[in-house]
Amino acid sequence: MFSRLSFGVQRKIVIIGFIMIPLVLLLTFAYYPALELIRLSFTSWDGLSPDKQWVGFENYREVFRNPEIFGVFWHNLAYFVIGIIQNILAIYFAVILNSRLKGKHFFRLLLFLPYILNGVAVAYLFGYVFDTTQGSLNLFLGSLGLPSDTSWLGSESFVNYTLASIGLWRYMGFNMVIYLAALQSIPADIYEAASIDGASGWQKFRFITLPNIYRIIELNLFLTVTGALEVFDIPFVLTNGGPAGASETFVMKIIETAFQFNNYGLASAMSVVLLVIVVAVLSVQRYFLNRGDH
Amino acid sequence: MVSRVILLAVVSVVLITLLSACGGSNSNLNTSSNQPAGETGSNEGGQATGEGSIKGELVFLTNRTDMVGKQYTDYEKRFEEQYPEVDLKFEAIQDYEKNMKIRISSGSFPDIVLIGPGIANSELPKYFAPLDDIEFSGDIWFAESKASEGKMYGVSSGNSTVGIVYNKKAFEKAGINEIPKTRDEFMEAAQKLKDAGIVPLASNFKDKWPLGAWVYDVPTMMSADPNHQNERAETDTPYTMDNVYGQSWSLLRELKEKGYLEKDINSTNWEQSKKAVAQGDFAMYLLGNWVINQIIENGAAAEDIGFSPFPADNSGELKAPLNPDWFYAVNKDGNVAAAKAFVKWMIEESGYDEFAGFIPTLKDKEASLAQLKEFQGYNPQMIEAGPPSSEATEIQNKAQIDQEAAVQEFVLAKDPQKVLDKLNDQWTKAKKSLGY
Repeated sequence: MFSRLSFGVQRKIVIIGFIMIPLVLLLTFAYYPALELIRLSFTSWDGLSPDKQWVGFENYREVFRNPEIFGVFWHNLAYFVIGIIQNILAIYFAVILNSRLKGKHFFRLLLFLPYILNGVAVAYLFGYVFDTTQGSLNLFLGSLGLPSDTSWLGSESFVNYTLASIGLWRYMGFNMVIYLAALQSIPADIYEAASIDGASGWQKFRFITLPNIYRIIELNLFLTVTGALEVFDIPFVLTNGGPAGASETFVMKIIETAFQFNNYGLASAMSVVLLVIVVAVLSVQRYFLNRGDH
Repeated sequence: MVSRVILLAVVSVVLITLLSACGGSNSNLNTSSNQPAGETGSNEGGQATGEGSIKGELVFLTNRTDMVGKQYTDYEKRFEEQYPEVDLKFEAIQDYEKNMKIRISSGSFPDIVLIGPGIANSELPKYFAPLDDIEFSGDIWFAESKASEGKMYGVSSGNSTVGIVYNKKAFEKAGINEIPKTRDEFMEAAQKLKDAGIVPLASNFKDKWPLGAWVYDVPTMMSADPNHQNERAETDTPYTMDNVYGQSWSLLRELKEKGYLEKDINSTNWEQSKKAVAQGDFAMYLLGNWVINQIIENGAAAEDIGFSPFPADNSGELKAPLNPDWFYAVNKDGNVAAAKAFVKWMIEESGYDEFAGFIPTLKDKEASLAQLKEFQGYNPQMIEAGPPSSEATEIQNKAQIDQEAAVQEFVLAKDPQKVLDKLNDQWTKAKKSLGY
């Protein structure tokens, strides 16, 4: 029956048939929940009762007025700072591993490996590294004669940097692979020509490499910014927000608001605010990075 | 051409399995939730004519995933022997409180569920059937805990108390021959343990939840008043230095300052602490009796672990709070008659309290665990926890106060008074905006 139809109709049926499935999945599991989230953010739903009372912008006012909620973003700053360092390191390693180096495939693999590990497993692993009394880091420092009783996860002043450094260890390899791919797409004859003109290594990096991987830097910064805003698994497993809430991130706060305090409406508003902030930060970043092109 | 056909076949097989997987789980859900609802009609009819007939499918939504295929198989066999027309099923889920809430809010849920503090008592009649007509063989603990308008909607599945769980070998090594009965004796014992190179009290400070004892139970022991959490609703300053919370949290702060807790309380490890207590490197826990079995599982000999009331003051009168575990509640649209029979059976005949190491819900049934017998031998005054008031819970949720986190802050802060001021400030604001 199918074969009796004309080729054009057959093609249309196949195309529509194949597109329908991902579209339906996308709409039911991504767009519908997102719209529902926005609707809930205007209610004071407690997560259980069938009636969802409409409260207008009250939840949004609460998010911005309450320093306990919005102030948490200061903790995310540490992840952003470390994220920048992570990108610089990634470019550095990418440039080195793109040159003629013995065993470079081995080193690439070594640096990329942490990214494959499961996030919760990584967090547990570092729990043993950063343990104050029995942790391997303090034992190592002690054997070098350095102070060996630093409470890495217990100091309010730098607990976020400790946690962010785990993120650096984990994601640096991933950023590096992306940079590496971009570097390999730069034609070698440009470098050759530059060498003939007497350009130094730094000049070649600055005037050839950097402009050519601009788009990729942009992409990686996008990943860093959203990553920094949405950190969750590492602090959740390692410190559970402690000591005394010093390492609580915004996403943890959202989960706490919804599932511990039953303020689903407020938690939805917080999620929407996070979404808006991510979009805003990205727009600003795109604006500044794109100015160079024109 | 052939390879294309194969490719098409593979793709369609993958898609079909994917789709049928979605459909499969859906249809499962439907049968489990619809069938009890279908049973309703016949049951209500039965109840109208007198005692409801005990038959049909009965589903118990449980949090004990570890008991599926082991104890539950045995329970099912024994229960169905007594009630041959009932088809008992167990559905075990993880992350119970959150998932159960979603199930209830979706409108259809199994016949018997476990409820905790997450649902306000005033909401109970909306979802559950009153259980007053179950005839237990004696008085039960916590009959009024899950009540609304004079009717009981929940039966405690078992109860626990909080006290000092200690390693007898560690006490021996430090030269402690008698269990401390006053606060001063407790401090002395802690000093002896510290001198012997043993960590006196494992606080598990970092994990936050083990600090619950300092929020709920130590204040109960200090005031002999189980309603201190509810009474917060009546005041604008529930957290002050000289009330039970200030006193309880200051005691923990004192223990920390004297070095009686772990070396770095911000880097504690719950799983390791159980091993350390089992081996005698840590001497004590201030936790519920449920932890005893877990220490034994981690390698301690059962006779080396003791359990005694915590002396929170110097009066010499020992007090211990009695806390309920999960409550059984029965879906009012489910198979009510059979569910009630099951709740009665679980409390009286199943042996679940023994297996879980609970204090039985029947008041005159004796606990079977040796450590609980030791505990009761000290003759502590048992203080039954009261029903939580929805006002205090509402204010606390509105103010977003996490009391265990507040204890952490209080202990770590340079000026603890400031932590209390901040809490009171949040409390007052939330109270006002709710209009209490």
